Formats: sequence, structure tokens, C-alpha cells
Amino acid sequence: MSEVKMVGLTIDGRTVRAAEGTNVLQAAEQAGISIPHFCYHPAFEAEGNCRLCLVEIEGLPKLDLACSTVVREGMIVRTSTAPVLEARKDVLEFLLAEHPLDCPICDKAGECKLQDYYDRHGLFPGWFLEAKEKRQKKISIGKGLLLDRERCILCTRCVRYLRKVTGTGELGVFERGVRAEVGTYDDAPIDNNYSGNLVDICPVGAITDTDFRFKTRAWFLEKRPTVCPRCSRGCAVIVESVSGYPLEEGERRVFRIRAGENPAVNGYWICDFGRAGRRDIDEGRQERVIKSASPESELSWQKALADVMARIRSVPGPERAAKVAVILNSRMTREELTLAKRLFAEGLSLDKIFFADPKPGAADGFLLTEERVPNARGVLQAGFSPRLPDLDALAASVEVLLVFGSHLLDHFSEEAVSRALAKIPSKFLFSAHTGPLDRLAEIVFPLAVSAEKSGTYINIDGLRQSFGRAAEPAPGVVSEHEILGCLAAGLGLNVGEHDVR
Amino acid sequence: MSEDAVRLIPADEGSWRLEAYLRRGGYEAARKAVTSMAPADVITEVRKAGLRGRGGAGFPAGLKWSFVPQGGAGPKYLCVNADEGEPGTFKDRAILVRNPHQLIEGMTIAAFGVGIRKAFIYVRGEYGRIAGRLREAIAEAEDEGFLGGGIFGSGFDLEVIVHLGAGAYICGEETALLESIEGRRGQPRLKPPFPAVVGLFRAPTAINNVETLANVPLIIGRGADWFLGRGLPKDGGTRLFGVSGAVRRPGLYELPMGTQLRTIIETHAGGPPEGVAIKAVIPGGLSAPALRPDELDVTMDFDALARAGSMLGSAGIIVIGDKIPILDVLKVMARFYAHESCGQCTPCRIGTSWIHKTVTRIGEGQGRASDLDHILRLADGMKGRTLCPMGDAAALPVQALVTKFRDELEKAVAR
Ligand SMILES: Cc1cc2nc3c(=O)[nH]c(=O)nc-3n(C[C@H](O)[C@H](O)[C@H](O)COP(=O)(O)O)c2cc1C
Ligand code: SF4
Ligand code: SF4
Ligand code: SF4
Ligand code: FES
Repeated sequence: MSEVKMVGLTIDGRTVRAAEGTNVLQAAEQAGISIPHFCYHPAFEAEGNCRLCLVEIEGLPKLDLACSTVVREGMIVRTSTAPVLEARKDVLEFLLAEHPLDCPICDKAGECKLQDYYDRHGLFPGWFLEAKEKRQKKISIGKGLLLDRERCILCTRCVRYLRKVTGTGELGVFERGVRAEVGTYDDAPIDNNYSGNLVDICPVGAITDTDFRFKTRAWFLEKRPTVCPRCSRGCAVIVESVSGYPLEEGERRVFRIRAGENPAVNGYWICDFGRAGRRDIDEGRQERVIKSASPESELSWQKALADVMARIRSVPGPERAAKVAVILNSRMTREELTLAKRLFAEGLSLDKIFFADPKPGAADGFLLTEERVPNARGVLQAGFSPRLPDLDALAASVEVLLVFGSHLLDHFSEEAVSRALAKIPSKFLFSAHTGPLDRLAEIVFPLAVSAEKSGTYINIDGLRQSFGRAAEPAPGVVSEHEILGCLAAGLGLNVGEHDVR
Repeated sequence: MSEDAVRLIPADEGSWRLEAYLRRGGYEAARKAVTSMAPADVITEVRKAGLRGRGGAGFPAGLKWSFVPQGGAGPKYLCVNADEGEPGTFKDRAILVRNPHQLIEGMTIAAFGVGIRKAFIYVRGEYGRIAGRLREAIAEAEDEGFLGGGIFGSGFDLEVIVHLGAGAYICGEETALLESIEGRRGQPRLKPPFPAVVGLFRAPTAINNVETLANVPLIIGRGADWFLGRGLPKDGGTRLFGVSGAVRRPGLYELPMGTQLRTIIETHAGGPPEGVAIKAVIPGGLSAPALRPDELDVTMDFDALARAGSMLGSAGIIVIGDKIPILDVLKVMARFYAHESCGQCTPCRIGTSWIHKTVTRIGEGQGRASDLDHILRLADGMKGRTLCPMGDAAALPVQALVTKFRDELEKAVAR
């Protein structure tokens, strides 16, 4: 590996060292000095159109752009002298002159760069006496995306994103001068699996997501990072949820999922499929333990689990290998899989350990992988050889079946599964979402989804990524980790809880 | 030697034809360069001649060529700026109409000096018919072996392509011109990198104005000293001064660089018509800050006009008579820049439009006392802060009018 050459410069009197080729804006940021900017985005070449990042560079007659000026040895930069502050304020004045007063109803309010910078660098009384341009405020530009041309500050991040990142180029700038506007070509909609990123990179509320529009205010949202569970890429995502917000029937807890930053995996982007994972967290959730014999009764998962243990114990040790079966899945964390391995394979000596995962989809050549589970590598590393069960064989010999997840139905018809399960005396389902399997199980346990858990996934490239809880678990749910730990304890098996990795 | 031989705009019959050009000694300079000079010597000679760019900025042509990296396997391009969009400017058009071969010869010499084998001439869309004549001239030159493969029997080739613009002023800005030739939206690129290093199709590119290149055969044919003798010591040659507005003989005057502005207006263009006095003069195309009648004793060259707080620019002299309200001039100016801003960068996109809206409101009798100060402040917000020089080009002339003719404008505001 070639060594990165470092360059020494001074920014606001501070000595800063930055890698050769870094621009002044990045170098300042690394030193904790933030230079306001709209059009610059680290994923693209500097475009230099917003003019907000002007700074003083000693030796130059005029202010120059921090976003496009590359650091030089001995360079002296000043980011908050009177001329710089004045230039900044002027740019904000220009932008706000033609900006609507939409903040009270704008989705972006609270996390809008224009609002934030006005607050920090503006705070001037308006003196625009002319009529603002009237523009279209609600243009559908693609699936789930609305464009408000009055709010657009023409930073062209969206245009560049679609040209450089997705390569689909659906957006362009049309007309010139103050009449310049962003739009699609011949009204052909934005149609790619990465369109949601446009909402993330638009520095203002010009591109909004119909799934989020008018649903809440940004400042109510708690933003926590995790790893996306919807394919084996393992993109960094941010789950934005409300906690302690009154939850009524049908009201959201998780309002959106956005791209997190991870240079080693996804850069700044996530796919729309991953973004839509918001629904997995809030919708169709299994809310409580349901025992088919007494569906109305309130039962704690611990109590219900006692039934499971009793059924397993009722099968004599030597017969368990043949008569007790479990179906796991590759959404379980590395920790849970280790626990499962020790409990089922080593502790109970089961032979019949199967896996049922969502069906693979098509990889799209960018981030989304064929595998639609996050931890297939973790399954292998835990020592499993994942395979689907043979339903007839199961039906013929098994007396107790523990099913984790509901993806048997991705591989067998509901009818075939019902027929097989009908022949098995005791079957227990552990699932985060309600589904057709529910009625076939003796007890259904409500599981946490990955955003509600902490753990580790190993992605398609073998990268281990640990994550913490990104959303408060729905009331009453339990993680596989807790279930497995409790089962092990109840069955008197030592699974080395403290060393599950 | 007829005087026509050294004029950019010759007066002889059918001057645009190849035979006429050859009669005037045409293509001898190119032959000399290609068959007997080293490329580097061509550049040196042009540098010595003090040939400054005629497109507006006055950058020394030879120096600009020397920035294009020498050698290298990849392509390099020459782009001729024939967009001529600056209001008050009509000089390149005259060269294209009356002397296209001298431009072609200048291109050949420049391309030889810089090591370029392909050139584009970007002609403003409104000059469509003129472009036809240019294409004919190119065909004539190719037929005679002055262009194309193996020029003058040497190993030097040059292909020339005529490209028509579509009516945007901003496409005259050199990097917007490159974008436009490449088939994209015509808007300036962020510099650096400069076109000499990363230009057309990302290859090193020399960009010159028509008039700049048309001077090159004179320099190579007659020498840098001769050329300097036709102008000023550091600013050689003649200049095509286009005079329009309140004068008796509007037109194009080819005069030595450094001729007195007052002489051009009074003597050559015949001064203002009967009963009209000069109120203001814009000396170098609309973007050049206006001069008051008491500021006209200035020589027409890059440095002198810069010292006078204006610029030589395209040398299009617009004379404004005392019957014209300055507010009208301001209105035309404001509308032009608001209409022609590419809209890419914030201060120019919104500043030009804001100024236009304010000036329009004043024109409608709705002026407010603060308006003129606001306009000055807006211009300040644009100056030196935009992505391309158009921000300055739009701010400075507005600021000059408001500052220099404040009394008259105050009255218009109060009306
Ligand atoms: C807004 C704008 C418009 C311009 N229009 C023209 C033009 O129409 N013709 C031209 O030759 N140069 C024009 N220029 C100047 C060019 O950018 C460039 O400096 C010139 O073509 C270089 O040629 P020269 O060095 O031979 O003058 C314009 C510049 C700006 C900023
Ligand atoms: S984009 Fe920002 S400034 Fe504009 S309305 Fe929305 S929150 Fe307000
Ligand atoms: S829509 Fe948003 S990202 Fe696109 S140019 Fe406008 S402000 Fe920038
Ligand atoms: S200064 Fe004006 S013309 Fe130049 S890039 Fe900015 S908006 Fe476009
Ligand atoms: S961030 Fe530098 S010009 Fe926009």
C-alpha cells in the first residue's frame, strides 16, 4: 500500500494535517471546524454552485471555495473573518429571497441545512420587496418522491447523484437564470432501487418521501444506527423512531429508515428495499404470546416457554435426536446462532436442525444482494450446514417442532405445511410477524426484529458488524437470544452464556 | 503591399474568397510556420508580439498556448470562440463575413504551434448564414491543401469543424462553450482545472476569440516587432472598435490599440448627431462599466481602461445620448443579465433576477428610497463570489450606472 502523504496547513490559527488531495472543507471538518455548505457532498466532485463555503485563503485576492480548493503545504485558511461571514450571509439572503416560508409545514424543518445555517450565520431581517417566483410545489418525480420547486436551492446534488451513483440520470436542470428548475426528462419518472437516497441528500425539503410526508416532525425522532437486515450486504442504516410518544392503533413508532455512512460497505447509500424495512418494524407484528388452546388468556413468554420445555423433556434423551426438530433462520444474530448451536446441536444432541430463509431475489449489481438475509455467513461460522427440512420426513417422525421465523412458506405451500404440521403433536412458532403459520402452532411467541436487538451479522464479504438496539422493542416481544438462554437454563444445559461469540 | 493585406476587415472585392485572400498574401504565414518554424518558436513569436485576447479578458494569447502541455499521446483541441454574444459587439461577425481565411490561417498557425490536430469553431446560432460562408472557406482551404491532411506537404494535419450554438450568451464563456460542444447544458465549469489542461472532452484545449486568431498570421508573417509597432509596447496590434448608439457614423473601426476613446467617437464615428450630447459611454461591450462624458480621455487598451475602472472587453463602444434615461439603460442591462445568467450559482442566479425585479418596479413608478442602495448591495453580493466571471460582468456595469448617475436615478425612483 502506498503511503498517504500528509500536508500541513493552518485553519483559523489551528495547525491541521490532512492527507494530500483533501479539500479545505474536509480538512477543516477533520479538525472540528465546520464550514457551511449545500452543494458539496463527499461522494461527488465539487461542483461549486451554492457559493456558501467561501473562505479566506492567504495570498488570494478573493474569497475562494473550501469545497474545491485542495490543501497545500503551508496554506493559511480563515473561515470566520468578517468578509467570510458577510459572503455567507449574502448567499443565505439570496437563497431565502426566493424561498417559500414553508418551514411550519415542511418535512425537512428541524434538519434543514437552510434553516440551520440561517440560524447560525444569517439572522437578518428580510429586505426582498419583490414578488417571489411561483413554481410547482408538488410534482411526482418517481415512486414515492415529490419535488417542491419553490424549496429547491438548485444545489444539483440530486442530479449528480442520479448521474454518478445510480447512473440512471433521470433528473436534469432545465431553463436558466432564476427560471432554472430541476425536473425529469419528458416526465419519465425516477425508477431505480436507490431513489430514496435523494430525500437524504437534498439539503432542504425540496424532495420529500410520500411515506414520511407530514407524518411527524424531525425533532421528535430518535436516530440510532444499526445494520440493515434485508440482504447480506449489511448496509449501515439509521432507524428513526419515537420513544415515549403515545402509540395509538396504527400509529407509527419507526417513522423512517435512512442511509447510515459506512465507507467499507455502503458509502452513503442504501437501497429502497432496505429503506422499506421500516414496515417490518412496525407493521404486522406479533404482539403477544398466543396459546391456541386458550387464545384469550394473557400469558407471559416465560410461562409459555415452560410448556415448550416440558414437551422437550417428555421426549426421552436418546430419542430426542429423532423426535425433536428445530427450524432456524439466517436473520438470527451471530450470538443467537452460537447459542442455538450449543443448545440444540450440542446440549440436546438434535440431528434435525433446519433452516428456512426468505427466497433469494435478484442482485442489482450495486448493493442489494441475492441473499435476502443478513447473516448467512454467520450461520456457517456458527458451525451449521443450513438445509431445508423434508416435510414428509418431519411429519413421519417428529413429536416436538420449534420453528423460528415464518419462511417455511417461502418454500412450501401453506397446504403442504399444514398437512405436515398436523401430524406433529407439538409445534411452537417464534415469529416477529403474524402469518398463516400462526394457527398451526400450539403457542406463538412474539419475537423482536433486528432493529430491536443488538448483535452481530457477518456480511457477504465476511465483514463482522456489531450493532446495538436501534429502536425500543415493541411491548411484549422477546428476542431469540432471551428465548434460547431461557430454554438452556430451564433444561439445565450449560451454553456458556458469557462467551457466545 | 496594399493596406488591405494588413487589415482584419479588408475592403477588396470578394474579400472572403480564397483567391482574394491569396492575392493579399494569404497563407504565406502559415506556410512559413508549418514548413520552416519549430512549434515552440511560433508560440514565442506570438508572446513577443504582446497579442492579448480579443474575447474580453485580454489574456496574452501566446502565454495561454504555453499552458497547454506539450507532447502527450492523447488529443488536444483548439476552440475558436465565435459566439459574439456581448451586447454592442459585432466585430467577429465582420471577420467571418469578410475575411474567414485569415481566421483559418491563424487557426492553422496556432494549432501547429500548440500541437493540435482538431479544431472547432463555435459560432453563435444567430450567425447561421455566416457559418455557411465559413464552411465554404474551410472547403476551399482543404481543396488547396491549407487544411486537412499533410498541410503544405508537411506531416501536419488539421481538421476544422464548425459548431453552431443555440442562442445563449453564457455559451461564449469558454468553459460553457466546451460543455455546449460536448452536447451538454451550456453552463460554465468550475476552474481549476483550466481548459489548457482539462478542456474539451477532458483533453488539453486552447480557446481563442476569432479576432485574436485572425491577428496571428500578421504576427508570423511580419514579425512581432512589426505587430507591436501597430499598437502599444505591451499590447500589440490593431483593434476592431465597434461603435454604436448616439453617433453619426456607427460602425466598425480598425485602429491601433491605445487610440483615444474620444478620437474614436468624435473623429471616426462622427460624434453625436445634431442636438444630442453624450451622457455616458460603455467602452467595451455591455459588461464594461460606463464612463461619464468627463472620463472619455482615456486610451483604448486593456491597462488604461482597467485603470479607469472599466475594461476594454470586446471593444464594443456604446454611446448613450442625453435623450436616453439612464433608467432605460439600466432596465435593458438588468433584463439581459437576468435572462442570460445560466442559473447555476446562487449569487448570479438570484442576484441578476432580484436586480431586474427591482429595476422593473422602479420603472413602473413603484420605486422606494432604499432601492438604489439595495441594488448596490446586491451587486456587492455578486462581485467576486460567483462561479464564472458573469457575476462580475453583471454586477459591475449596474453598479457603475447607479453610482455615476445616481442623481438622475434618484429622481426616477421618487417619481
Ligand atoms: C459571460 C461571458 C461571455 C463571454 N462571451 C464571449 C464571446 O461571446 N466571445 C468571446 O470570444 N469571448 C467571450 N467570453 C470570454 C471567453 O470566456 C474567453 O475568455 C475568450 O474566448 C478567450 O479568448 P481570447 O483569449 O482570445 O480573448 C465571455 C466570457 C464570459 C464570462
Ligand atoms: S426547506 Fe428548510 S427552510 Fe425551506 S421550508 Fe423546508 S425547513 Fe424551511
Ligand atoms: S431538489 Fe434538493 S438536491 Fe435537488 S437541486 Fe434542489 S435542493 Fe438540491
Ligand atoms: S456566474 Fe452566473 S453565468 Fe456564471 S456560473 Fe454562476 S449563474 Fe452561471
Ligand atoms: S459547498 Fe462549496 S460551493 Fe457549494
